[in-house]
Amino acid sequence: MIELSIDGKRVTAEEDATVLEAARAAGIGIPTLCYHPGLPPDGNCRLCLVEIERKGKRELVISCMYGARDGLVVHTRSSRIWKARSFVLKMLLERTPDDPLLKRMASHYGVAFEERFHVESDPCIKCGLCVRACEENGTEAIGFAKRGWEREVSAPFEEPPRDCTGCKACAVVCPTGCIDVEEEGDVRRIWGKDFRLVRCALCGERFATEEELAHMGLEGDEAKYCQRCRKMLFSARFLVGL
Amino acid sequence: MERVLLISPEKCVGCGACELACSFTKEGEFRPAMSRISVYHFEPGINVPMTCQQCDEAPCMEVCKTGAISRDEANVVQVDGDKCIGCRMCVMACPFGNMAYSVEKKTAIKCDQCDGDPQCIPFCPTNALEYVPADTVAVSRKKLFSAKFAKLVEEVTK
Repeated sequence: MIELSIDGKRVTAEEDATVLEAARAAGIGIPTLCYHPGLPPDGNCRLCLVEIERKGKRELVISCMYGARDGLVVHTRSSRIWKARSFVLKMLLERTPDDPLLKRMASHYGVAFEERFHVESDPCIKCGLCVRACEENGTEAIGFAKRGWEREVSAPFEEPPRDCTGCKACAVVCPTGCIDVEEEGDVRRIWGKDFRLVRCALCGERFATEEELAHMGLEGDEAKYCQRCRKMLFSARFLVGL
Repeated sequence: MERVLLISPEKCVGCGACELACSFTKEGEFRPAMSRISVYHFEPGINVPMTCQQCDEAPCMEVCKTGAISRDEANVVQVDGDKCIGCRMCVMACPFGNMAYSVEKKTAIKCDQCDGDPQCIPFCPTNALEYVPADTVAVSRKKLFSAKFAKLVEEVTK
């Protein structure tokens, strides 16, 4: 365990913790958009900016990637941090003006949308959570394509992604909810690819895509019955077993 | 001391109080569909309460890529909802259907034994559910069942 100071409060943290993790574990709130506790940090949104003291000076760092170390002095509230975060929100709002979460955060920081450049609005804030979730799942079906202003999340060559299993984790973690998932009948459509949904052999509920079951290598009951029916079947066997 | 949630189906009267207690504790509403424990009614008088077995080799934990599923000091398999990315692989992996997914909470949900004080226990009127020390008697009953179950699975999969 290590000990650091955050806003004058003594905080203990694990050796490999980041400043953000140490702060949140101590109940000190830091806003984030691209951070997810279950995924590796990527430092894309820049909202988690904090100040650290080094060589007598205060430096702005992103807390989601900055490793906490023994004796580190961190400040999460200062006019400089407020200004920096406000600027980040202003830029994000410029391109994604209609997102409720972003609007809420912006209003907290007293930032309002003002059109500085005329740009087509884009619901994606390029936080990369979807890309990281896909990577973590071992599918790596989507990634960032192009550069600079044109950077976007895309499947390779903008074609229906071959490795996508249709698990929807990307859509679950997306902070702006901009990944479309459509389900109609036995078909789920995501990233321009159609997935056939497997129906439970007992109740008929569509419980997974064929690709998901194949990705996990599931056979037998897990590939045949939905979760609820498996539970029921197990209890029936439990009974017979006794 | 480690304790186990012991289920005795022969004592269950199928009242469903455990389902209500569970969903009320976990979701704040009386909604058996969200309960981590379910009672299945087969024939009149034959009921089986079913919940997570806290498997020694938990398939849900093995497939979780983000480390959202882990085992705590009390040997209970726990889900950290903050770390869950909603891929639902654990839901698919559990052979017994004891892992579910909450669309509202955006996380996998399962029986967490209420941090050592399972709320279903005091509401079970017939002691079909018991939370007992994992001593020899309780464990031997569990093992006896496991052996029978393993044999059964073998027969089914033959």
